[in-house]
Amino acid sequence: MRLMRAQLIRVWSIPTFLAVLLTGCAGDKSILDPAGRGAADVALVWWGMLGFFSLVLITVVALWLYTFRPRSSRARTAIEEKRLARRLILGGGVLLPVATIVVLMIFGVPAGQRMLPVPLGTPPDVIEVTGHQWWWEVRYPGAEGGEVVTANQVVMPAGEPVDFHVTGADVIHSFWIPRLGGKIDMVPGRTNRIRLEADSPGVFGAQCAEFCGTQHAHMQLYVKAMERSDYEAWLAERQVPTLETLAVQSDAHAPAREAFVEYCAQCHRVAGLAVPDSQWELAPIQGPDLSDIGARPTLGAGVLAMEEGAIGDWLRRHQQLKPGNRMPAHLGLEPRTLQAIGDWLETLSP
Amino acid sequence: MRQALWTHPIHLVVGLTLWSAWFVTMYGGLSVACAVAPPAPEQGPLTLLNAGLALLTLVTAAFLAWLGWKCFHASRQENVRAAHFCALVSSGLYVASIVAVLFVGMPVLGLPPCV
Amino acid sequence: MTDSSRKTNPDEDTQRLVKDLETVWANPRGLGALTIVNHTTVGLRFMLTGMAFFLVGGVLAMLIRSQLAFPGQNFMAPEIYNQVVTMHGTVMMFLFAIPILEGLAIYMIPKMIGARDLVCPRLSAFGYWCYLFGGLILLSSLFMEMAPESGWFMYTPLSGKVYSPGLGSDFWLLGITFVEISALSAGVELVVSILRTRTQGMALHKMPLFAWYILAMAMMIVVGFPPLILGSVLLELERAVGMPFFDVAGGGDPILWQHLFWLFGHPEVYIIFLPGAGIVSTLIPVFAGRPIVGYGWAVFAVITTGFISFGLWVHHMFTVGMPQLAQTFFSAASMLVAVPTGIQIFLWLATLWLGKPRMQVPMLWVFGFLFVFVLGGLTGVMLALVPFNWQVHDTHFVVAHMHYVLVGGMFFPLIGGLYYWLPLFSGRMPSQTLGKWGFWLTFLGFNGTFLVMHWTGLLGMPRRVYTYGADEGWELFNLISSVSSFLMAMGIAMILADFILHFRFGKPARQNPWNADTLEWATSMPPSPYNFVSLPKVESRHPLWEQPQLPQAIAEGRYGLAAAFHGRREIWGTDPLTGKLREVIHLPTNSWWPLFAALALAVVCISLLLRWYPLAGIAVLVAAGFLLRWSWENGTHSRAAPDARDQPGNPPLHSRTMDGPGVWTMAVTLLADGAFFLSLLFGWFYLWTISPEWSMPAESPLSLTLLVVAGLALSAGWWWLERCVRRLRHRQGDGLAKGMAMITGLGIVQLALLGWVLVEAELDVTATAHDAVLMVSLVYVMLHSGLGVILTLLQGLRVGYGYVGVEAPLEPVVVRLLWRYNLGGYWVIVVSMAVLPSVIGGSV
Repeated sequence: MRLMRAQLIRVWSIPTFLAVLLTGCAGDKSILDPAGRGAADVALVWWGMLGFFSLVLITVVALWLYTFRPRSSRARTAIEEKRLARRLILGGGVLLPVATIVVLMIFGVPAGQRMLPVPLGTPPDVIEVTGHQWWWEVRYPGAEGGEVVTANQVVMPAGEPVDFHVTGADVIHSFWIPRLGGKIDMVPGRTNRIRLEADSPGVFGAQCAEFCGTQHAHMQLYVKAMERSDYEAWLAERQVPTLETLAVQSDAHAPAREAFVEYCAQCHRVAGLAVPDSQWELAPIQGPDLSDIGARPTLGAGVLAMEEGAIGDWLRRHQQLKPGNRMPAHLGLEPRTLQAIGDWLETLSP
Repeated sequence: MRQALWTHPIHLVVGLTLWSAWFVTMYGGLSVACAVAPPAPEQGPLTLLNAGLALLTLVTAAFLAWLGWKCFHASRQENVRAAHFCALVSSGLYVASIVAVLFVGMPVLGLPPCV
Repeated sequence: MTDSSRKTNPDEDTQRLVKDLETVWANPRGLGALTIVNHTTVGLRFMLTGMAFFLVGGVLAMLIRSQLAFPGQNFMAPEIYNQVVTMHGTVMMFLFAIPILEGLAIYMIPKMIGARDLVCPRLSAFGYWCYLFGGLILLSSLFMEMAPESGWFMYTPLSGKVYSPGLGSDFWLLGITFVEISALSAGVELVVSILRTRTQGMALHKMPLFAWYILAMAMMIVVGFPPLILGSVLLELERAVGMPFFDVAGGGDPILWQHLFWLFGHPEVYIIFLPGAGIVSTLIPVFAGRPIVGYGWAVFAVITTGFISFGLWVHHMFTVGMPQLAQTFFSAASMLVAVPTGIQIFLWLATLWLGKPRMQVPMLWVFGFLFVFVLGGLTGVMLALVPFNWQVHDTHFVVAHMHYVLVGGMFFPLIGGLYYWLPLFSGRMPSQTLGKWGFWLTFLGFNGTFLVMHWTGLLGMPRRVYTYGADEGWELFNLISSVSSFLMAMGIAMILADFILHFRFGKPARQNPWNADTLEWATSMPPSPYNFVSLPKVESRHPLWEQPQLPQAIAEGRYGLAAAFHGRREIWGTDPLTGKLREVIHLPTNSWWPLFAALALAVVCISLLLRWYPLAGIAVLVAAGFLLRWSWENGTHSRAAPDARDQPGNPPLHSRTMDGPGVWTMAVTLLADGAFFLSLLFGWFYLWTISPEWSMPAESPLSLTLLVVAGLALSAGWWWLERCVRRLRHRQGDGLAKGMAMITGLGIVQLALLGWVLVEAELDVTATAHDAVLMVSLVYVMLHSGLGVILTLLQGLRVGYGYVGVEAPLEPVVVRLLWRYNLGGYWVIVVSMAVLPSVIGGSV
C-alpha cells in the first residue's frame, strides 16, 4: 500500500493528495481498506487502473498543450501530414483503447469470481438478509437447533466464504459491505446471492446503497466477523428456548411486558411473548424482531448507540431522530410507560 | 447497378444494426435459456449454450466480413465522390462491427452462462 | 438558373427581393409573436428557456451541497432533500441539457446547411410549447412541495402508488412525457432537414461535421426516447388504474422499469455528448486554421458511438443480479465506446498539431472539455468493469463520474460554442477578461467539487443520502466539494454576466470574426429570419475559406431561390447523398395551431394529474382536432401555397411530387413509433420469461378467429391503398376519392372487430400483468388503426376539394406509410400475443 501511495503522489491532483495524506484509505466503509479477498481483488484492480489511466490523462493533456507552442513556420508536405495524422489516430485513437480494454477484460473480469455463488465442495453458511424501509432483517436458516432471527446486525464466521441471500420486502434496497466486497440489490420478488468472506475477525460498516426513500441515509448495518467457535456460540445463545426464558425471567418487568403486548406486539415480535398469530398477520407493517435487541450495538439501524436508557429515549424521540420512519410517534403513551418498555427490552441480551 | 448496391449510404448503418441485432439475440437468448433450462453451474463455460452463442458470434462476424469486403471493393471502383466516401466509411464501419462482435462475444469462451 | 433571371440593375432587384423576403418571412410582434415558427426565433426560445431551467437546477445543486457540507446537518428535512435531489437531476437532464442542445441545433443547422428554415417549422414551434408547458408543470410541483422524490430515475416500487402516494411521481411521469414530445419532434425534423434540405451541391461527404453529429443525436432521440415514454405510460397506468406492470404480486417486475428507463437513459448520455463533441469538432478546425484531420474518421466515430451506445444500458444495472456472462456482454460493449471516443480525441489533437492553434476564450472551454471529459471517460471505462462496478455503483464515485462526463461532455463545449457563436447572435464580441475569469473559476470549482467526490465514493459514501455521520471520515471531502461548488457557481455567474453585458457593451463584430469556414457566418449578424437572400451552391466542405466573397454574393441574390413574389417560404429539397436538386419545398408560415395544440395537451396533462378524467378526454379530442386542422392547411391548401406558380428552370414544388419531405418525416416518425412498439414487445416477452410471478392462462383470452378476420380487413385496406398510390404514380386519379372511402370503411370494420375482441376477452387488467399488457397492446393497435382511418377519410375529402390528386399526389404516399406500419405491427401483435402463447402454452 505504501508503494502505491508513493505512486499516487506523483500522479493524482493536489486536493486529493492532501486528502490522502490526512486520512488515507482507511475507514469503516472504505473500499480501499479491504478486509476480505473479494474486496482486495477489486482494490488491486482499482490501483492498477488509477495508475495507468492517470498516465493516459496526463499524456493526452500534455500533448494537447504542446500543440499550442510557438513554432517555426516550416510547412509539412501533405504526405508528412497524412503520416503524422494516421499515426496519432491509429496509435492513440484505436490501438491504445483497444489494447487497454482487452487487458482490462482479461485481468479485470476474474476479479469478481470470488463473489460469485458457484457450488463449492463444502457448501458455505447461508445468511438471509431482507431489506425493509429502513432496517435490515437477518436470518440464519442453517443454525443448528432452528432458525435464528435478528435485525440490523450481521454476525458471520471469519476466514471462510459466506453466502448471502438477499431480497427486498417493500422497495429495492442494496446490500453492501464495502470492506468485504461488492454490492447486490435486494429486489422484491427475487432472491439474489453474493458470496463474501472476511479474512479475520473484525467489525465492518455497511449501509443501504440503493436509494430507498426518506430515511435511506439511516439504514446502517453492523457487521461483525468472528472465529467459527464464537460464531456458533453466538447462534446458540439465540435459540428460541433461550430467548423465551430471557424474555420472561424477571417479574419486575411484567407491567412493561404487558404494555409491550398491548402497544408494540402488532408489529414487533419477541420470542416467548404469547401474541396470537392472527394479530401478527394483521400487522399494518412489519417491524424488527426484538428478541435479542439488548445485545445489538445500535438502535434505529444506526441512529443511536445502544447505551443504558437508549431504548426509552428512542421510543420517545424516534420521529425526531429518524424523521419519517415507519414506527408511529407514540404520542398517546406516557413517557414512563415507554421508559419501562425500554428498560425491559434492554434486558433482552443473551 | 451492382456497383450502386454496395455504395448505397444504407451501408453506413447496416453493419452496426446487425451488431445490435446480434447483441439482442445473444442477451435475449442467454436470458431465456437461463430462465427456462439453465445448464448446471458445475459445467463451467463448457456448455451447449456457450457453444451456440460462440457459433452465432462467428457466423455474424463472417457475414459482416463479407459485407465489408464487398463495400471496400466497391469503394475502390467508385468515381462519384459522395458514393466513394460512403462505401469507404461503410467498409470501416463493418470492420468496427466485426471488432465489436468478437470483443463482446469473447467472454462466452471463459464464463459459465447462468451464474 | 437564377443567373438567367438577373436583370440590368442588380441593386434595385436585390432591394426588391429583400423586401419581398422580409414580407414573406416577417416575424409578427406583440401577441402575434406567439405564432412565430421560424427556426431562429424558436431556437433562441429553446436556449433561453433552457438557461432559465439551468439556473433552477443550479440553485438546487447549491442546496444539495449546502446540506452535505457538514455531517448531520438539518438544513433541509429528508423529504425536502429527496425532492431537491430528484428535481436537480430531472431538471438538468430533461429541461436543460437536451432542450438547450436541441435549441442550438434548431438555430444552427439550417444556417450551416444553407437552408432558410427547418423542414417542419410548425413542428419546431409545437415542440417548444410542449417543452415550456411540460417544464413549468414539472417545476410547479417543487413550489408546492410535492415534487417527485424517488430519484431522477424513478425506480419502482419506490415510485409506485404504495411507497409514493403523493402526486410527485405523477408530476414526473406526465411532465416528462410532455417534454419528450418536444424532444421527439425536434429529433424528427432535424433528421429530415439534414438529409433532405441541404443546399445545392452539399453532398453527404461535404456536410459540416456538426451536421453529422446532430444527425446522429437526432436519430438517437428518435430511437432512444420511446422506451422511456412507454415506461412512463405503463407506470402512470399502474399508479392511476392499478395495472400491475411493475408489481411482483400481479405478475409484473420492477426490473422491467429499469430496463425501459436505461434503454433510454444510456443513449441519452450520448445524445447529450454528441452535440458537445460536434461543437468541439466545429471549433477546433477554426481555431487551428486548417480543415479537420480525418473527416471520414470522425463520421465513422459518430456512427459507431451512436449505435454502440444502445448496447450498454445494463451497465447501470450490474447489481440487480443477472448472470455474470450477460453482464460481461454489456461490460465489453461499454468499454468499446472508448474506441470511437479515443479516435475523436486524437483526431482533434492531430488537427491542432498540424495547424496553428490560437488560444482564445472559446478554445479555453475546449481545453476544459478535453481535461474534464477525458477524465470522466476514463472513470467510465473503470465503471464498465463489472467487479469494480459492484463496489462503486450507487456511491459518490458514480456521482463524480457522471458529472465529469455530462458537464465535461456537454456543458464545457456548450459554453465554448456559445462564446464562439455569440457574435452571430448579437453582432458583438464578448469580453476577454470576464470570459477568462469565468472559465478558470468554473474549471477549478468544478474539479474541486467533483475530483474529490471520487474519493468520497471510494470511502463508501452512497449517493442520495441526505446526511451522514461525523465518524465516517467523509467530512473533509464533502466540505471541499461544497466550497468548490460555490466557486463554480461564481464562475457561471460571471459567464452569464458576460453574455448579458456583451449585448450592450460588446465591441461590434466584423463579418466572420473567427475566420470560420461554415455557412452560418455567411448570414447577417444577427441573422434575418430567412438567413440567406439566395441559397448558395456549395462545392466544398469549407465554403467560406474557399470563397471568401460568398456572403456578399449570397446577399446580392446571385444564387438559388432568389424570389419571394409568390408569397411562399421556400427552401431547396435535395438528394440525401449527392445534394442534387430535387424539389422546391414550400414551408408553412406562422400559425396559432402549434400553440393551441400544445395548450390542449397541457390541459390533458393537468387534468390527468388531478384525475379529472372526463376533462382529460375532452382535452384529448380538442388537441386532436387542432392537430388535424393544422394538417388540413398543408400541401396545396391555399394557406400553405398561396401561389402555385413555379419559377422557370426550378424543380417542382414538393407537394407536386411523390417523395416530398412529408414522406421522410412520416418515415422517421414511424421509426420512433417502431421503437415504442419494440419496447412494448420487449416488455411482453420480458415479463413472460423473467418475471417471478407471471401467470398466463392456458388459452389466450383473445379470439384468434376475430383477430384474423380483423387483420384481413386491415390487409385489404392496405392493399387497396397501395393500388391507389400505384395508379397515382401512373397519373391515373379516377376513383381516388371512392377508393379512400372504401379503405376508410375497411379500417372501420377492423376497428369494430377489435372492439368486439376487447369486449369478449373480459380482461382483468388490475389483476394480472398479462391482461394489462394485452390491453395496452390492443389499445395501441386500435389507436393506430383509428388514426389510419381518420387520415384516409380526410384524404378522401381532400381529393374532393382538389388538394390531392394527380397533380398533387404526395399525401396518399404519406398515409400509405402509416398503413404499412399498422399492417406490420398488427400481425406481429397477433402472432406474439395470441398465437405464440397457444403454441408454447401456459406459464413458463
